[in-house]
Amino acid sequence: MKSLFNRFQPLGSGLHLDSAEEKILKGEEGEAKQFAMEIVSKVGDAVGAESLVPIKSAHVLAHYSSLHEAGIDVLERFADRGGKFAVPTSVDPASIDLQNWRSFGVSEEYAKKQFRLCDAYAKLGGMRCWTCVQYQVCNFPRQGDYVAWAESSAVVFANSVLGVRSNKITAGMDVACAVLGMTPKFGMLEDENRAAEVAFRLAFEDLDDLDFRSIGFFLGRNAGARLPALLGLPASATSDQIKHLSAGAAAAGPVTMIHLPGITPETRSAASPSEHVGLEEIEITRAGLEDVERDLNQTAEFPDLVAFGVPHLSVNELGELARLLEGRKLKGGVKLYAYTSSQAYDMAERTGISKVIERTGARITQSTDAEISPLKSMGFSTVMTNSAKLAEIVSSEGEIKVRYARQKDIIDEVTR
Amino acid sequence: MSGESLKGKGLVKGASQGAALPSLKAFTFAHGVNPETGEVTDVRSDIRGTNVKGRILFYPFGKGSTTASSWFLEPVRLGNHPAGIVTEGVDLSAVIGSTMAQLLYEKTIPVISGIPRAAYSKLRPGTEVRLDGTSGEVVVRQ
Repeated sequence: MKSLFNRFQPLGSGLHLDSAEEKILKGEEGEAKQFAMEIVSKVGDAVGAESLVPIKSAHVLAHYSSLHEAGIDVLERFADRGGKFAVPTSVDPASIDLQNWRSFGVSEEYAKKQFRLCDAYAKLGGMRCWTCVQYQVCNFPRQGDYVAWAESSAVVFANSVLGVRSNKITAGMDVACAVLGMTPKFGMLEDENRAAEVAFRLAFEDLDDLDFRSIGFFLGRNAGARLPALLGLPASATSDQIKHLSAGAAAAGPVTMIHLPGITPETRSAASPSEHVGLEEIEITRAGLEDVERDLNQTAEFPDLVAFGVPHLSVNELGELARLLEGRKLKGGVKLYAYTSSQAYDMAERTGISKVIERTGARITQSTDAEISPLKSMGFSTVMTNSAKLAEIVSSEGEIKVRYARQKDIIDEVTR
Repeated sequence: MSGESLKGKGLVKGASQGAALPSLKAFTFAHGVNPETGEVTDVRSDIRGTNVKGRILFYPFGKGSTTASSWFLEPVRLGNHPAGIVTEGVDLSAVIGSTMAQLLYEKTIPVISGIPRAAYSKLRPGTEVRLDGTSGEVVVRQ
């Protein structure tokens, strides 16, 4: 099996820094940049990069639930030593609703931890759009651009749909790249690593909301370290549907890009059957997706929280949710939260979508997301969702039970 | 050397040793290891319930969230981190996490990749293993 090992195998004599980069490493441009260069050069060398390249944008992580105290140490170290982002930089959701956290039952103590990260991020000069779908909200590179993005679902979307080139830059390295405006050239930034290595073929066409997530998950689990192509995706697939497919794939395995013929800019058209000749082909059947559903669905209990929007719902998806909820009322004992960006939240307010959703007893929450909020201390024990990513993460932690089901079935069960 | 030696590629330098903790499935620290104890919580992991602290952790490749490097770093801060990491494919989050561990907390956690699953699938948990993150050598004591 061709593995990620080959993909990152060094070809030359290690990372070469030019004289300007050497000066940064010596501290001539300040301590924050020096710290950033120490991280970036060490990691670049480890993964076999020969040089650093400029990036057009960055996306970083600054939520307390995953960064912990160590993550505060990292972000504050950059901020306190005078660091400034060198390129447009967006940020993943926070661990709390930054506007309305009190009304969601978050403790003052917990909020303070998040606000320390918010302050450090603000000091570094980042865009205040706390979302995991930055490509739908505030961060718009063009085809072919190099970027250094964290957020696994967004990286898969960027490589597969936008034709933007990014590795999955993880916490700490994300901020270092943003401060330098550079990233090591390796992995998905290199042409030769962007070819498909295994093909998945959909055996059927009629896909609902859950299918897109489950297909992603199936692909992530079965591709191993190989770069997958997905054949047979209907031409009608929307940006939102592929967003959820990307999230499912990244949650289940090391997938960084999916070739989607007819969609991925560098993949020849869907009409070209010769594109993937010679690749091992894995069929995705109904039965395969039902296995995913069984795996992610861990209880039959009535939920105390329904969570939609991991990744964040677009305003279109909020509109669709409003249409499904209209005229219904949430049953007792269950809360329904729709997670979205502040920008989509404002749009839903202006267009009346929020009113329809809130009239049922449901709430829209902004700038945070379910998988990174303190669900247990907010009092929840059973979460129901149509997000494969949320189901995977919540069950991994093992503290909260998960039900994984279609949006329509969830709404039928928890409303009257 | 008494025992079998595997040769991979050293990604993060340094030497360490400890008892082997092999997993044959995609692995992540994010939401999958409790930083306050070092215990593996991920229900989809074949080593759920074991503890990574002081162990040489083997897994084929990473999965999931890009937060994994901070989930890696927090157990380092608390002293609950593994002694070393051995993978098949490069897990960028382990490379980044271990690099940060050195810079922030002066802890050395060698990371070696290029050791295929098949090469360690028979390795008994608890077997003493020595890593050289510079040469990429993994020595298993029999």
